[in-house]
Amino acid sequence: MGSRASTLLRDEEIEEIKKETGFSHSQITRLYSRFTSLDKGENGTLSREDFQRIPELAINPLGDRIINAFFPEGEDQVNFRGFMRTLAHFRPIEDNEKSKDQNGPEPLNSRSNKLHFAFRLYDLDKDDKISRDELLQVLRMMVGVNISDEQLGSIADRTIQEADQDGDSAISFAEFVKAFQYL
Amino acid sequence: MERQNLEAGWLLGSFWSLLLGALVVSTFKGPQQLLALDMGSENASWEPEEVPGTESSEHTFFSLDYQHVQVPFEITLWIMLASLAKIGFHLYNKLPSVVPESCLLIFVGLIMGGIIYGLNDKSPPVMDSDVFFLYLLPPIVLDAGYFMPSRPFFENIGTILLYAVVGTIVNVFGIGFSLYGICQVKAFRLQDISLLHNLLFGSLIAAVDPVAVLSVFEEIHVNEKLHILVFGESLLNDAVTVVLYKLLRSFCEMSTIKTVDVFAGIGKFFVVAIGGVLVGLIFGMTAAFTTRFTKNIRVIEPLFVFLYSYLSYLTAEMFHLSGIVAIIACAMGMKRYVEANISLKSHTTVKYFMKMWSSVSDTLIFIFLGVSTIGDNHEWNWTYICFTVVFCLLWRALGVLVLTFFVNRLHVNTVTSKDQFIIAYGGLRGAICFSLVFLLPDFPRKKLFIAATTVIILFTVFVQGMTIRPLVELLDVKRKRESAPTVGEQIHMRFLDHLLAGIEDICGHWGQYYWKDKFEYFNSKYLQKFLLREYSQPKSSIVLLYEKLEKKHAIELVEAGQLIHTPSHASFDSQKSAGMVKIVDGLNSDVLENIQKILARNLYKIRRTVRFCSLKIYGIQTVQYNYCLSQQHVQMLVLFRYAINELSIRRTGCEK
Repeated sequence: MGSRASTLLRDEEIEEIKKETGFSHSQITRLYSRFTSLDKGENGTLSREDFQRIPELAINPLGDRIINAFFPEGEDQVNFRGFMRTLAHFRPIEDNEKSKDQNGPEPLNSRSNKLHFAFRLYDLDKDDKISRDELLQVLRMMVGVNISDEQLGSIADRTIQEADQDGDSAISFAEFVKAFQYL
Repeated sequence: MERQNLEAGWLLGSFWSLLLGALVVSTFKGPQQLLALDMGSENASWEPEEVPGTESSEHTFFSLDYQHVQVPFEITLWIMLASLAKIGFHLYNKLPSVVPESCLLIFVGLIMGGIIYGLNDKSPPVMDSDVFFLYLLPPIVLDAGYFMPSRPFFENIGTILLYAVVGTIVNVFGIGFSLYGICQVKAFRLQDISLLHNLLFGSLIAAVDPVAVLSVFEEIHVNEKLHILVFGESLLNDAVTVVLYKLLRSFCEMSTIKTVDVFAGIGKFFVVAIGGVLVGLIFGMTAAFTTRFTKNIRVIEPLFVFLYSYLSYLTAEMFHLSGIVAIIACAMGMKRYVEANISLKSHTTVKYFMKMWSSVSDTLIFIFLGVSTIGDNHEWNWTYICFTVVFCLLWRALGVLVLTFFVNRLHVNTVTSKDQFIIAYGGLRGAICFSLVFLLPDFPRKKLFIAATTVIILFTVFVQGMTIRPLVELLDVKRKRESAPTVGEQIHMRFLDHLLAGIEDICGHWGQYYWKDKFEYFNSKYLQKFLLREYSQPKSSIVLLYEKLEKKHAIELVEAGQLIHTPSHASFDSQKSAGMVKIVDGLNSDVLENIQKILARNLYKIRRTVRFCSLKIYGIQTVQYNYCLSQQHVQMLVLFRYAINELSIRRTGCEK
């Protein structure tokens, strides 16, 4: 495992990942060792089963959706670059980055991108709106099985009513952002 | 309004002077200390009953036996005085916004102390430390712990602990050593104060006081994070203060100090802190367990909350652990389960009793502080006192700066420099220092220490307390956002929690969300089954919040009787009224009963207010208004009918 690991992560790759995601050198190496420990097939990519093997993720209500978020459209394997790219969304925003040039592409962990990531976890059919059904599904997963469907439905209705401003009975991305402004 | 104020003012004033007179007279009557409840006076009151063999032949119609009721009578008088003073402040609307209540109360106490001193020509009663620690302090701390928002507290717990523990230690040693340095200067004639005494003084003066912080910060609504940092620190530094004070005091009495003793002190700190938390948690869990069985005796449910918390405080004090930490751990631990188990009425009772007790304690503490200041307990020495004030401010600022520097390196959420300034400035000292200084063993310079403590407390409460509000506005510190909670927010917060916990799992990183998730899992699997009454149906907080908000809206809807735009129920199309009906279905039977009762009571009231309101409106609007309202009526009747139907269905046992 040792020699293979070092050949798989060359310095140039580390530099590229660093530039793209903003993680530091030590963070990248640590995440790489985590990646390889998860990669039971030892083929340099992770499949869905590898993720599902993580015990805590199995009991997490949002587990499946999070796993899906790692895999780009239609694929079944994710390599280290893709892994890092998704994780980069969760890197904390640092103050010194705010002063960097505003003209460049927005860094992956900006607030807007983070919210976009969360939005995509709600919005399964990717129509840029969270409809009542999608909200219901998320609620059902988080609230548990003790609540009746009508109650859940009314909770979903109320949530949409609170956030909805253009009256389309669904939450668009702008409304989603607004709901988060206090968090 | 003005006339009302004036009348109330006169009434209060006369009441007040009467009370004051009564108290002054009472201090004339007995030389005994007003507040030191010694057994002597109680015994004395029993004796007269045996004596009057000679007098029993005369039947007096009217006799005065003050000795019999003296102690409770005086206590009640004091409390009454304090409460009347409080009413007095709030009569003048401008006053509480400029001067914080604590200042006013101390001022009142000063006046009273002055009057008593002037009339009696001896020192007024001094606040007994036992009374303070055993009776006056616990209600305040319990109130603080029970209503502490646990989410921000645990998010910032690292920072809070750092400030409380390391910050206090830095302050203690800093102040102690600097004062010792000052004492060495020959010109000030203070050389007889040894290093140990200085350190002891430092240990009692360095700690930030929760009572003072609470009363001042309550009125300036700063942002939640800042509030919880200052407040959490003031509560948790009690553990450090207890250890250091007792340690240094025992050092004063020992002839030689070995390094073993120092290490014993450090070990003692851990014992005190962890022991306090454990004691608190044990009592908290027991309280939660007890409330599981109180379904048939709802009336005494609130009592359990208070009894267990007070027991945890006393137990911790018994073992010389930190009582404040214990009572906070107890309150925070039991809150979640107790609130699920006790009825709504008990919940309200608990809330209001706690608030009432803590308010009374708070008021009494400040008044006594004022009263006890007057007298000949003081030895005045300009240099020492001035330097104490200077060093307190200096070391607090230094401590906060250095520690925040470290905190900001490690954490994502930085503490801004404005916040830092408020944290440093908000380090108020209060009654705890005062009581501790009276507990000091008698040595020649004790009066100097008492004087210095008094000056510091008065300085921090008056100067810092009064100026902190304009400073907050001047510096434009982020304030508390005043908006109602929404269900959507709750959902999103929970969503983010799960999401971040999942990501942390993937990274293999044991961060904040990981532990939170683990605790929630442990809670739902084991704790809830044991401690909650209906563990088969623990309701998620999202559902609870939703129900609470819907209930509030239903009540508002009925009470207003006019057309207001409420989010869920306010339009006319049938879809929405069907939605309203659906909401009725979704509510459980308690809420339905509530709605039913409210509707039954208010339906006729609404008709009357409707007529009244419509008279005020002119022209076409009148017609429309009437139309609107009658439609509203229809909707409410529909709601009413469905509520009854629903209720009868549920009663006949068609529940799921």
